[in-house]
Amino acid sequence: MKNSSLWIILHRMRMPFIVIIVTYTIAIIGMLVIAGKDNLGNVYHMSIFDAFYFVTYTATTIGFGETPYEFTYSQRLWVTFSIYLTVLGWFYGIGTLVSLLQDKLLLNELKRAKFKRDINHIRGKFIIVLGYNNVTSSIIKKALKSGIRTVVIEEDEKRVNNLILESFTPSVPILQADVHNKYALIDAGLEKINCKAIVSLFESEKLNLKIAITAKLLNKNIILAIKSSSSHQSQNLKDINTQIIANPFSIISSELSLAFSSPNILKLEKWVYKIDDLNTSISKLPRGKYIICGYGRMGKYIYEKFDDLDLDLVFIDIRKKNNIPKNLKIVYGDADEKLILEEAGIYESCVIIAATNDDIVNLSVLSTAKKLNKNIITIARENEFDDITIFKNAKIDHIYMPEKILIHKITNALINPLSDIFVNELLLKDEMWAAKLLASLIKDINENPILFELVINENEASEIKKSLKHKELITLKLFHTSLHNRELTNNVVPLLLLRDEKRILLPSWDEIIKLDDKILFACDNHAKEDIQFICLNAYEFSYAHKAKEKSTILKRFL
Amino acid sequence: MNLDKVISGFFIILAMTLNFGFFYGDMSNLEHHSKYELFAAIVINLIATTLKLGDKTQMGSVLLASSLVADIQLIAAAIVWSVAFYSYSINQEVISIIISLSGGALLANLTSVFLYIGDTLKSKR
Repeated sequence: MKNSSLWIILHRMRMPFIVIIVTYTIAIIGMLVIAGKDNLGNVYHMSIFDAFYFVTYTATTIGFGETPYEFTYSQRLWVTFSIYLTVLGWFYGIGTLVSLLQDKLLLNELKRAKFKRDINHIRGKFIIVLGYNNVTSSIIKKALKSGIRTVVIEEDEKRVNNLILESFTPSVPILQADVHNKYALIDAGLEKINCKAIVSLFESEKLNLKIAITAKLLNKNIILAIKSSSSHQSQNLKDINTQIIANPFSIISSELSLAFSSPNILKLEKWVYKIDDLNTSISKLPRGKYIICGYGRMGKYIYEKFDDLDLDLVFIDIRKKNNIPKNLKIVYGDADEKLILEEAGIYESCVIIAATNDDIVNLSVLSTAKKLNKNIITIARENEFDDITIFKNAKIDHIYMPEKILIHKITNALINPLSDIFVNELLLKDEMWAAKLLASLIKDINENPILFELVINENEASEIKKSLKHKELITLKLFHTSLHNRELTNNVVPLLLLRDEKRILLPSWDEIIKLDDKILFACDNHAKEDIQFICLNAYEFSYAHKAKEKSTILKRFL
Repeated sequence: MNLDKVISGFFIILAMTLNFGFFYGDMSNLEHHSKYELFAAIVINLIATTLKLGDKTQMGSVLLASSLVADIQLIAAAIVWSVAFYSYSINQEVISIIISLSGGALLANLTSVFLYIGDTLKSKR
């Protein structure tokens, strides 16, 4: 049965119903049996209908009086008794109903039913987000902004209320349930065609893996965005075809190594993630001695990335660790103490990275280090979202926040798949290439170009599709033309062209367009508008493409 | 022995027998059909229906459905009877309506009893 709330009501109301029926019957039978007297003093017996009528208004405490004739004393005796009987029956029934309406189980069922109805009413694409916190809240906001609905499952009642208070528009249906339960996932619409992705960013690796496997088995086509914080877990996730594996520590460590080897790539990446614009100066990390506080999950990743860069790395950790690599230099002790920092070589090092999972420790280590060595570059890992202002005021050179990186990485992959591919390709390129692209973006557009994704299909480019059907040749140059004057060009740089599985990075203007091509542009707002006009408006298209004004219907008749 | 089964079986079968008691007799003569028996049949049918409420199994749903059919037919018969009795006169047509409605209810009750027995035989405890 689908509607279990109705069944709960029916089940609980069984006893009250029986009580009401039985008390009515007893009262009615009594009225039938006991003889009354009519106006003339003749003995009469009430008809069944009369008795039922009388009991009905008496039991509900309405009380129209004695019908059809005035009662005899024997009848009144019975009525006195039956009033107590039937009224009690009614009150019992009503009382049960009221307590049922306050029943947690029933309320939960009602909420679940409403949640399911809400999900069924979602017509467009939607994603399922598991757990509600700072990170997922930002993901929800970004998804809603780009027109993708979201559905949330959260176990904690407080957080559920927080989401409700946030009052997102369009509304975000939320179910208070345990994510371990696969029925909660099914209720959230996991099996629906328009459910595009599921986001699971729990701390527990086991839970994430379990959700990934369940989701994949229930819906083959779903995109999984799963957090992972170890390479073992990432491998497991890869084995079940997880599309988006977000490992914040791996991302941070690769960003750090980028900041060391190729800052321009990092600059482009940050621009794609909309963290900074292209003009922000990113100081290149110097060569020399590095101190890293904390050899935990993040420390390990930093070690893996930096090991082959030929740097002098010294780790500090408070607890003795097992199975550390042989050539790893590690000092055991509290990194906040001057002696330990001196032992690690604070005076001759050029960079210190505070990578523990405690914000206060990170801050305090860095301030101690800064006191000992004024020229040292400080890099902090920030764990809690709430500490943003403290970190801002601490004058730390670089702050890396795993949570923030998760948000950018996941929303980009879910909402702007092309820019995600672009970032992946970008990371394989060298510094020279990035510097060239950076310069051309700033020269051709501005410091902060917007990214625009275009798919050549009926929805987004109906005019181009029509003309491609007539076997006309259209090159990328079409999107370069200014609608103001055909001879002039707009500020556009095509970044990526995706054709089936083929990725063409920085396609040339002479590239011929085919149906279902996906193109990523960097452009300004004006150029974006022009491109959209060219794609969808017959007149603008014919002006840009064939250099002539398309004749209107009116003109054709004239 | 299961007390629940005894109680619900008792009411389901009693509903059928009372229904039959009312239905049995001359089709054209209301004197062969006691109104008190109809009253009893309605009450017992209602109790049998409530006892079947809230059973989520397949069998429970069909039992509930058949019981609801019987209720509706019997209550319709009672309403037709009282309306005709108080507002119009009872003629041959009204009599046949009342009796055939209760006949329909009897069929529903029979279905209910057969299903109930079948379900009981199937269970191993």
